[in-house]
Amino acid sequence: MTQRFQITRAAELESLQDFRGFITECCQHYQIPPKTILELKLAVDEACTNIIVHGYKDMDPGSIILSFRIEPDRILVQITDFGHVFEPVETPQPDVQAAFENDELGGLGLYLIYHTMDNIEFQTSEEGNTLTFTKLIKTSSSEK
Amino acid sequence: MEIQTRQVNDITILSLTGSIDASTAPQVTGPMLGLLARGRLKLVADLGGVDYISSAGLRVFLGVIKEARLKGGDLRLAAVQPDVQHVLDISGFTSFIQFFGDVDSALAGF
Repeated sequence: MTQRFQITRAAELESLQDFRGFITECCQHYQIPPKTILELKLAVDEACTNIIVHGYKDMDPGSIILSFRIEPDRILVQITDFGHVFEPVETPQPDVQAAFENDELGGLGLYLIYHTMDNIEFQTSEEGNTLTFTKLIKTSSSEK
Repeated sequence: MEIQTRQVNDITILSLTGSIDASTAPQVTGPMLGLLARGRLKLVADLGGVDYISSAGLRVFLGVIKEARLKGGDLRLAAVQPDVQHVLDISGFTSFIQFFGDVDSALAGF
């Protein structure tokens, strides 16, 4: 059985808490491991932060639509925005040691998305930019 | 985000409560950098009340630790909760930050 959920919020940093709370609410009635819920909140937070900071840069804040589908063995997440195209790319683990010596710690948010989620895809069209990813639900002993 | 500050000898303890994301990170950075600017170089962040951190929060700690160490001080993290610890672990931060189980342990030998 599949359950679908959706929330739309303004593309503002203050909305991040709403997105995370929405994920917790959606997951609470299912047998989803707490670590999986945390990683979903983290990946959605990082993706939405990028949209707010980069996608809607120099634009009036638009909206972000977060859709969520819970299936028995996976959770599918779709995030849609209407800002500039900001395509997430896979990023290696940032060199924290180097960041201590220099100033920049780039790509940490993207790394966290790619490290915690599966099957990440990005599409853009006249109807907006859509990031989709999947989180496979694994037992605690084999969880990614 | 709530921050309560207290002083034990030359160490400042900041007890944080809430979530540290891109929205709340500036509320943490400001007071910490302010303390360093006033010569309070030994900081302990009590994270017992912090239930979530994103990369924005990790950048806060990175920036504060860099600044503190440049000035001869440091920031120690105490009472890190499991969800926050998990994010620190997967980000590769654990080698560069001093962690303590509770505030008393963080104060010892600082």
